[in-house]
Amino acid sequence: MNNYLISISIRNLARQKRRNFFLGLAIAIGMMILVISNAFTNGISDVMFNRIMRWVTGHVTISFNEKGNIRREVCRDRERMISAIMESDGETVSEIDESIGTFAKAIGNGSADNIILVAVDLSKSVDAKKLKETEESFKMVEGSFYDLKRTDIENAAILSEEKARYLNVRKNDVIRLRFRNIYGQDQAARLTVTGIMKNSNIFMQPVVFSEMSNVRHVMGFRPWETGNINVVLKNPKKDAVALADRIHEKLTPGRAIIYGTLAYAGNSTPVAVTGYRSDNESLAKLAGILEPSGNSEIKKDGAFISAKLAKRMGINSGSRVLVNYPNKFEEKSSVFPIKITGTFNGDINDNLIIVNEADFYNAYYDNLPRVSPENTAPAFSLAETHPLSALLATEWILLKRTANTDELKKKYQDMGKQKWKATLVDVRTMYESASDILKLEGVLNIITFSAVLVLFFIILIGVINTLRMTIKERTREIGTIRAIGMQKSDVRAIFILESFFLTLISCLAGIALAFITMRLLSLVHFEMQDNPMGMLLIQNHLHFMPSSGGIVFNLLLILLMAVATAYFPARRAAGLSPANALRHYE
Amino acid sequence: MKYLSVILACAVFAAPLAAESMVTAILKSIEDQMKMKTDIKANVTLTQQKAEQGTKLIEMVYFRRDSDDSFLIVMQSPENEKGNGYLRVGENFWMYRKNTRTFQHINRDESIGGSDAKGDDFEQRNLTELYAPALDAGGKEIVSEEMLGKVPVSRLEIKAIVNDVDYPRKIYWVRRDNNLILKEESYALSGTLMQTVYFVKYTVIDGRYVAVKHIYIDEFEKGNKTIVDISNIQTNKLDNSLFTKAYLENLSK
Repeated sequence: MNNYLISISIRNLARQKRRNFFLGLAIAIGMMILVISNAFTNGISDVMFNRIMRWVTGHVTISFNEKGNIRREVCRDRERMISAIMESDGETVSEIDESIGTFAKAIGNGSADNIILVAVDLSKSVDAKKLKETEESFKMVEGSFYDLKRTDIENAAILSEEKARYLNVRKNDVIRLRFRNIYGQDQAARLTVTGIMKNSNIFMQPVVFSEMSNVRHVMGFRPWETGNINVVLKNPKKDAVALADRIHEKLTPGRAIIYGTLAYAGNSTPVAVTGYRSDNESLAKLAGILEPSGNSEIKKDGAFISAKLAKRMGINSGSRVLVNYPNKFEEKSSVFPIKITGTFNGDINDNLIIVNEADFYNAYYDNLPRVSPENTAPAFSLAETHPLSALLATEWILLKRTANTDELKKKYQDMGKQKWKATLVDVRTMYESASDILKLEGVLNIITFSAVLVLFFIILIGVINTLRMTIKERTREIGTIRAIGMQKSDVRAIFILESFFLTLISCLAGIALAFITMRLLSLVHFEMQDNPMGMLLIQNHLHFMPSSGGIVFNLLLILLMAVATAYFPARRAAGLSPANALRHYE
Repeated sequence: MKYLSVILACAVFAAPLAAESMVTAILKSIEDQMKMKTDIKANVTLTQQKAEQGTKLIEMVYFRRDSDDSFLIVMQSPENEKGNGYLRVGENFWMYRKNTRTFQHINRDESIGGSDAKGDDFEQRNLTELYAPALDAGGKEIVSEEMLGKVPVSRLEIKAIVNDVDYPRKIYWVRRDNNLILKEESYALSGTLMQTVYFVKYTVIDGRYVAVKHIYIDEFEKGNKTIVDISNIQTNKLDNSLFTKAYLENLSK
């Protein structure tokens, strides 16, 4: 394109200063609204994902629900799970957190209230960024966050200003807690208040923090156990879903077997014990495969021993036998008492006892068995295609991956309907567990974009109108430049360029205005501690997060609209006959 | 609180027991009487007194049939709970809401009718499968003879042998003449006394002692107390149609 066309179009813009100023102002305001609204919705998303969900669930969560109980979140083999995560793609992982906490009834000085006890691991090294985030999220009114490390007092704890007021406690006071430990037992603990924090998020008000080792102890976790595992990623948007898929693949459960020594009537022999599924459908199938001897029936609470083993050991239906097995994590053995209810003849394994899954998992999870103990029975393995394979206990039950919150909710509803005995393991990303937030962000963006499009439609009608007026005013000028040899396409280009530059300059001004406005708005202090909307603030200030990609996209779109709108009046101007244009009088 | 598993079945033999393990023998005697061999229907009233909330009266009709692990609870009061129900058949446990006429699967540890009682409090469980005698440092059972008021009792300490119990340690005060439990203290794993139960009134049903009035005292949150009254106990065989969803739904019509 010739430079003189650009010069002419810019000069023409300057000729109608007032008219173009007001038109440009309208475009700039439209662009400003678009940029601010996008930055605001991005800010909401950022707060929800990176400042709330990231702390609560991590970017990827591996959850464990023992016996399908939603309140019994216990992983019995922490190291194995962490290895699975690291083997899936350790490079993308920033940190791995253990999520340990519980609802509890707290009693302070003369008043009681419900709280959420949350464990924080202060043994980990913390970088400057995380420290800043922590300080921003939990502003201490009294004491320091690191007082939680104190060991000279009983279970140091930090609670919110509101909760401290309600419980009528101050620094150094003691709070008594009542809660359910990981076994569902009623447990009591004492916490010493070492700090009081102020947070802008209403949902953080019931949270009471205590050091990880203290919470683990009072909740009954053993050193090799943990709660849910949260994975924080370096680049969650890029890696979260892919990593979750890989972890899910890694966590395919193996068969759950206890290898040990069967003791009965003074004799002992190596034995393998596994569990059978006890829903009605599985029981019916089992009866056909196990071919139980005599009158023994496959029941939900049964235990069946290989007929050959029973004969060798002199075991009958009704015998009480003991299976002694070495533990995986401790140098000691556990005893699994089993009441034999029948024998099976099926050609499966001569050293096998198959126990109902309820009793089996109780023993199995209480003390995980060592995988390759000495004096072991011959390894018990079944081909995947064997009809019994699907009916025997696995280490855990791996739930299917879900794509969004709706699917996740349905999965948990289904989970509640079935009477699981094994631990249910679920792998999910925060984008799935909080896909509603993404939807909200998308809907807000669409609403804003639609509103701004309407605004631009009105503005561009103004542009068309202005161009038509300009063309009419400059009809003789068009005739002159056409008469001295300017081509139709150049005339058309001049008018299109006029609109282009007007829109470009206005949009750039609008973007600048948007940044100034956002800066000013983010200086305003909001006191919203009792309002749920306060969770969208950071340190009581609005949080805007403009995205360069979004701004460029909107700018290009508006420029395209402006050019398209200007095209038709410009083509009309270019199509004027020079002779007729020169004869034109107002 | 292990309300009804202990309550309805807590009848004991009149004869004192002498065995090699005194505690085990007493537990066995209590357990034998816990196993009701017949179906049960009873009216249960819970009077909950809470320090900050005043008194709340909860009334329900309770049906139990152990042959297939079923029970049904139909709420009578308070008004907002009236008509709601809890149905357990085998491993399935549903909560019924009259207003919406819907059933929802719930866990055994869900609260019943807004009370402190939970679903598993209404189950039948064997005491000796859950608890065994606690031993002192010398390996001896912790049992002694005391006076509870004017009544000579045995004080025995037991500890859980499984994790699936509300309290890992308990102390019973049991009448020496007939092994009726008069008092029970329940301790958390931390050693804190959480609850004391007084069994204040027994009656004889089908030749067995059944505790019909107990007082549960919350030792952790002082001022909270629940009084349980059981009346109209019937041991006739219950109709199969009782333990169905349709029965609860028909009650709402």
